[in-house]
Formats: sequence, C-alpha cells, structure tokens
Amino acid sequence: MELHPVWTVFAYGLVTALATGVGALPFVFVRSVSVRAVAYSNAIAAGLMLGASFGLVAEGSEWGSAQTFIGTLLGIAFILGTQRWLGSHDVEVGELRGAGARKMLLIVVVMTVHSFAEGVAIGSSFAGGLTLATVITVAIAIHNVPEGLAISAVLRPQGTSLAACAGWSIFSSLPQPLMAVPAFLFVDAFQPALPYGVGFAAGAMVFMVFVELLPEALEGASRSAVGLLTAGSLVAMILFQALL
Amino acid sequence: MDPTLIVLLYSSLAASAAALGALPLIRRAEVPASWIGWANAIAGGLMLGSAHALSGAGMALEPFVATGGALLGIGFTYGTHLVSDTEDLDLNRLHETDPTYGSKVLLTSFLHSASEGIAIGVAMVLDLRFGIFMALAIAVHNIPEATILIAVMRGRGVRLLPAAALAVAIDGGQVLFAVVVFAVVSAAPGSTAMMSGFAVGTLIYLVLVELLPESYRQTGPTTIAVLTSVAMGVLILLRGGLG
Ligand SMILES: [Zn+2]
Repeated sequence: MELHPVWTVFAYGLVTALATGVGALPFVFVRSVSVRAVAYSNAIAAGLMLGASFGLVAEGSEWGSAQTFIGTLLGIAFILGTQRWLGSHDVEVGELRGAGARKMLLIVVVMTVHSFAEGVAIGSSFAGGLTLATVITVAIAIHNVPEGLAISAVLRPQGTSLAACAGWSIFSSLPQPLMAVPAFLFVDAFQPALPYGVGFAAGAMVFMVFVELLPEALEGASRSAVGLLTAGSLVAMILFQALL
Repeated sequence: MDPTLIVLLYSSLAASAAALGALPLIRRAEVPASWIGWANAIAGGLMLGSAHALSGAGMALEPFVATGGALLGIGFTYGTHLVSDTEDLDLNRLHETDPTYGSKVLLTSFLHSASEGIAIGVAMVLDLRFGIFMALAIAVHNIPEATILIAVMRGRGVRLLPAAALAVAIDGGQVLFAVVVFAVVSAAPGSTAMMSGFAVGTLIYLVLVELLPESYRQTGPTTIAVLTSVAMGVLILLRGGLG
C-alpha cells in the first residue's frame, strides 16, 4: 500500500514532537535536574543542529547558492522577528527555578513559536529526498529532548503532574508536524522554492544554535566541556549524513 | 607557477592581512568591548564556513578517516589548551595585570593560527583554487582577530607598530603550517582525508572555545548570533559561487 507522502511528512514531524515529551522522563526519577545536565544536553543539541544545517546548506547549494543564502537570511530574520514579537524575553534555564505562571506560559509560547521554523525545516527537507529528511528529523528530535527537559524543569517544581509536563512539552512541538505538511506541499509544488525553503530552515536552525543553545550551554558548563560535546556531536552528525 | 610558491604566496598574504587589524586602533587607544565581541563573532563565522567547505571535501574522500581526523583535531586542540593551562583563558582582557597573561595569549594565538595554516595547506592539496579561496577567507578573518590581539597588546603597553608586527608574526604560523602541510600531504596523498578532517575539528573547536564564549560576554547573544551566522552564510555562498 502506498501512503501519500504527506502522511510520511506528518509522521516524521510527529516523531520530533513526541521526542519533546521524552524530556519529561528524567523527572520520573528525580525532582529536579542539575543546571549542568541541561547545559550538556544543550551543547549536544547545538552540535547536532549545526551538523544538520551543514547538510541542508549543501543540499540547497546544489539548487542555487544565492537562493539558499537568501533563504538563510529569511530564516535568521524570522527567528529575530519572533524574538522581538515576544518582547525579547530571555528565556534562560538558569532562571527557571521558582518562576511564576507568567514565566511558564512564556516558555511554552516561546518554544511553540520556535517549533514553527523547525516544522518548516522538516517539511522542506523532504523535497531534498528522504535521506536528508531523516537526518533533519533526527537532529530536531534529539534537539527537542532538552527543550522538553527545560519545560518540565519549570513545570514540575510548581507541582505539575508528570503526564502534564510531558503533555505541555509535546504541545510546544505540535507546530512541527502541523507546519511540516504545508512547507512540504509548497516546496514540492514549486520546485524553485526549494533552495529558499532549505536555506530558511538552515538559517533558522543555525541562528537558534548561536542565540540560545550555545549561550545557555556556556552558562551552565565549562567552555571546554561545551567545545568537546558540541564539536563532537557536530562531527558525528556530518558522518551520519555521509553514511546515509 | 610552482604550487608550493602559490601556497607560500597566498598564506603570506593571509598573514599580512593581520596588519590591517591595527586600523581601528590608529585614532584611539582602546576599542569598545562590543567591537571585540563583533570581531570575534565575524572571525568565528568565517572559520565555521571554512570548516563547512573543508568537511564536504574530506567526507567525499573517506568519511570514517575524515571523521577520525576531526576527532583527533578536537582532542589535539583540547590537549594543547590543557597542557598550556589555557582552557579557560579569555584572549581579550584589555586590562589584565597578570604578567604571564601576555605570553599565554601569544602562545594560544600561535596554536590557533597554526590550525588555520593546516586548513590552508590541505585545501591547497585538494584543489589549488579551493586553497586560494581558503587562504583569502582566512585572510579576511585575520583582520578582526588581529584587532583583538593588538588591542590586548596595546593594553599591556606595547606600541601600535610593534603590536601590529607581532600580530603578523603570530599569523606567520599560518604560512609555516600551510607550506609544511602542503608538502607533507602532497607527498602522502593518502593522508588528505585525515588532514582535512583534522583541520575541520580544530577550526570548530577553536570557534566554540576561544571565540564565542568571550563574545557572548561582551555583546548580547542576538548580535553575536546574527554576525556569526551571516558571516558563515556569506562564506558558504561565495564558495558555492566558485562551484
Ligand atoms: Zn581564527
């Protein structure tokens, strides 16, 4: 039976969303996670996202370097714009303890907005082939785990149940499957849009790495630990892509 | 022209570009901290773009060997920081009073430029045009990096011209290593994937450990993220344009 590709795209997006819920799992065993553990997972996620965008850029450049670059600028501008729109609230894991309800809401909103760009990344990567899509999906799924961890780290001390922690984490990533489908349909229908879409995804991901993941990792862990984890996972991601 | 001469010529051009880093300091004794952050971010983005280009070439040859080389490069750079006790060294303290600080900065900067020399050398072996592109990218990135080094030296009482000469001399490590690596890898082509991986590993690790942590402290993450990702994107765009 041949499934319509839209369902595959949706399923991949759903996998990444569910991965966010995995971030709630450590709280089965502990009441709170150390700042360092969150920093380490951010550092690993940063490397994976950078490695994945290396692959996206290489794919886009085959279709047109200039278009990919314009897409990249749009991706950066999109994340910048959403940050401005949210009132440039710095959401930092270090500050999460004892945060109030407003802060909780803010975190869920911020994460949800981010997921839009990641959904676009998943969808447009499908137009570059299933291999590229798998790479991007794996990177985003793993990157989602510390996001779920961060959300749960705020909610759990407020007395939120484990199921609700996982639920809110997954909710924050629901835009991924929902955005992946229209993004895929768009770049699939208008082939010339492909390098723009791929560039957009790469720009958004790289920008998120530099504006959030790395600064947060560096706040909670030594720079050599961040260097080793991020560089190591970046290299692993490049190898993973070369082998697929 | 003899290929070794081309390597020598372009890597020397890259090292000399460091002198331009003195320009912002001609009319002022000190540059604002934010400029140092911006300079680091731009240099870091260019280094990541270079790593991107080099990783594609290395992976196309032998993925596992190139990956092994990259891990070796990461481990090697971590090791040199550990041995020289510079893992947490800020390379941009303008008012540091510790007498050993100056020599530590010079040592770290030399090792940094040596890694970039390896990148130029191995890129030249892969393809002379690619090598020239790499040398020019490193040349541009040397300017902001030299501004920081010269600013630190100025803060330690070194006059402008000697400080600029010192910056060029430190980047002489690029010339030395580009020429040596070019000769060695040309003689042993089987080491190309390994060496390009090595260069990729060191470039990425240096950006993460030496350049970005300091710039985040001097300027907010938003500015740093814009400069780094755009500098990286521009370099990849230019590389794509060359085909
Ligand atoms: Zn450098």
